[in-house]
Amino acid sequence: MPTAEDAALPRRGARRAFALALALLALWLAPFGPAQAAGLLIDRALAVVSDAPTFPADTPARELRLPDDWSISQPRSAGPVWYRLRFDWAPAGGAIDSPALYIERACTRVDVDLNGQRVHSDEGTPELATHRCDQPLLLTLPPGLLRADGNLVDIKLVGRPLPRVSARERAAGLSVIRIGTYADLARAHDLHALWYDSLPKAVGIALLLTAVFTFVAGWLPTRKGYLLHYALLSASCALCSMGAWMRHGTLPVEVVEWVLVATLPIIAAFAVLFLMRYAGLRVRAFDAALLAQCVVVPISLALAGQNQLFVLANAWNLLLALEVLLAAAAALQTAWRMQRREFWFMLGLLLVVALSVFSYLAAQQGWLAFSPWWRLAMPLAFFTLGLRMLYVEVHGMRSVESEMRSLIEKRIADASAEAERNFATLAELRVEQVTERERKRIAADLHDDLGAKLLTIVHTSESDRISSLAREALEEMRLSVRGLTGKPVRLADALGDWRAEVVSRLGQANIGAEWQMPNEEPPQTLPARAYVQTTRILREAVSNIIKHSGAARCVVSGRVQDGDFVLMIQDNGHGIPMALDGNLDRGHGMASMKHRAKQLQGQCLVESGPGFGTVIRLTVPL
Amino acid sequence: MNILLLEDLPEIRTWLKSLVLQVFPQAEVSEAARVHDALALVSAIPFQLAMIDLGLPDGSGVKVVEALRDHQPEARSVIVTIHDDDEHLFPALQAGAFGYILKEQARELISEQLQRISQGEPPLSPSIARRVIAYFAAQNKPQANEIPHVQLTERESEVLLRVAKGFTLPEIGVQLNLSRHTIADYVKQIYRKLNVSSRAEAALEAQRLGLFRRA
Repeated sequence: MPTAEDAALPRRGARRAFALALALLALWLAPFGPAQAAGLLIDRALAVVSDAPTFPADTPARELRLPDDWSISQPRSAGPVWYRLRFDWAPAGGAIDSPALYIERACTRVDVDLNGQRVHSDEGTPELATHRCDQPLLLTLPPGLLRADGNLVDIKLVGRPLPRVSARERAAGLSVIRIGTYADLARAHDLHALWYDSLPKAVGIALLLTAVFTFVAGWLPTRKGYLLHYALLSASCALCSMGAWMRHGTLPVEVVEWVLVATLPIIAAFAVLFLMRYAGLRVRAFDAALLAQCVVVPISLALAGQNQLFVLANAWNLLLALEVLLAAAAALQTAWRMQRREFWFMLGLLLVVALSVFSYLAAQQGWLAFSPWWRLAMPLAFFTLGLRMLYVEVHGMRSVESEMRSLIEKRIADASAEAERNFATLAELRVEQVTERERKRIAADLHDDLGAKLLTIVHTSESDRISSLAREALEEMRLSVRGLTGKPVRLADALGDWRAEVVSRLGQANIGAEWQMPNEEPPQTLPARAYVQTTRILREAVSNIIKHSGAARCVVSGRVQDGDFVLMIQDNGHGIPMALDGNLDRGHGMASMKHRAKQLQGQCLVESGPGFGTVIRLTVPL
Repeated sequence: MNILLLEDLPEIRTWLKSLVLQVFPQAEVSEAARVHDALALVSAIPFQLAMIDLGLPDGSGVKVVEALRDHQPEARSVIVTIHDDDEHLFPALQAGAFGYILKEQARELISEQLQRISQGEPPLSPSIARRVIAYFAAQNKPQANEIPHVQLTERESEVLLRVAKGFTLPEIGVQLNLSRHTIADYVKQIYRKLNVSSRAEAALEAQRLGLFRRA
């Protein structure tokens, strides 16, 4: 049944997605990245393609604007290129700070001469793929070499042309140059390092940790495939974004480029696998294809040769991106169906990832400028996703645990309730046993003491009246004991007992007896007390007939009617004489019969008149 | 005629003795107030009739019934008791008692019953009849087949059922078109079979206990 909360969910989800998208947009548009550094900006230079040890002043040079991108300014050249910049230096009055030169990007190696003196050389350092491509160069300029005006800075740039690298950010090129005080430029340098180095590393470490936790969570309890793939994906992604292992390696640059591209299908495979597992899909053919792709990509690179690297890498990147996009669509579809709340979350994150991936791809084509955000956005998105999945997992485990706990608690409650019930039953049984034993003891005492004395009176009394009173008392006692100890009596058995007694007594008194009872044995039972009281009433009635009625016939009939047992004793005697007060009573025990019937919630009606005989109608509820 | 009278109340014993002597004027009545004394008498004197109270100071009269059954099979044991319930009477009947008399009944009634019993017409109440029916029904169950089978005939069962429903023995005789003597024979037979079956059961039980003890 949908609740108000359920209904609110999509709206809340939409709000969330909207917030995410806004944040995303803000990040994209924000003038983030390294702040503009102070100082003198030089964006014009003379450039000569030459491998000479110094700037070849005799060779005609082209003037160009910085930043220079070889793929645009000299598409056919593989360098090296000498750049000459000219600037005037007028130190501010009393400035103590040393002058410095700041090159944000010089991909890949530079030698720097100031007024003909070498002030920096990357000569001898191995030609590493990203060296200087995203590590700015900050040089102190010896004040002694500086002139007030017409200073010349010659920069020799050795790099790899675009076709021979897999990504544009590693293609040869020179950024604008800044000249200023060391303090100012160091700030810009540090800021750059923060965005391009420290932050990616920090995010990478966080992501790696998440990967480890997710891996444990995915492996330990129930072996969740998507968690494992997520862990692998984020781990590889983290390693890539940290990038440290490449920068300081000793591998030849061709190998590094090849490795970088070869890694991509692996990451993409993890991404696709994760998304498909998340969507609950498992197609062996896909898995095999992804694996094959991881093999085909590096082979194709090796076959294509150095000069096709960029084109081929871009083609593969696009293909991989599309694969991931499709898998993401499948995952989103599942999330939409299964977990609406997760859908919005996934949607936001996948949007961030997609945006950064496609921005990156666009930048590769030169359509967009690079932004350090793209390096951060994807790992951050993965990091958030990992945290979310861990949260969901832990939450799920906890809810399972609490479910288990409540189940166990319920079991315990049931068990203890049953134990209590059993105990109560046992206690009841025990009480019954004790009561039964006590009743038997009382019954035995009554028989032994009272019974013996009454019996003695019955057989030794001189007076018949006393004798018969004692006999009646003895019978009463016996019935009382029976009522005390007795179990319910089947009505059919009671009828048997009564018939035997009534018929034999009436027979002894020479009164014709007729016993009319239902042919079927009634299935009902009589409580012991009802049996005893009915026996007394019947006995009393028969005694009356024998002693007083003078009847020749007696009809006793019984039937079960509307849940009552109705017993009728009818004689053809001369009836019970009216007492002076108009009641049929006195000496005939009618009062005690009625009283006994009342005790049973029944009634005893007596109809009698001279010449009509007597009818006693006893009704006992069953 | 030797008659054993086991009764612990002196007044009642005296009264019973006078009653017995009235019914059987020639009888020699041996009185006992305890089970122990009665057992001593049983081992010394051959009795034709024994009137046995159930609740005695040193035990139950059932022991005397058993002793008579074992040593004097010809003697007829009659329970004379204040208890009319089958819970007290049935074990005595199983042990071999041949009917019972309720003590508080009028002298004439007891005299008549005593005479009938001595003539081989034991009384049978509906509740005792029901007890006997239930007993034999249990005997006939398959799991009880280790006990040597003593079964009631159809006629005996018929008589028992009718007694249980409250019909008197003369009435049953009329219903089944049988003589008073035949009905009495059936009742005697029922008592005998009850005793035989109970003895077999008891013997088996004793044997089982003995086996356990040996093991």
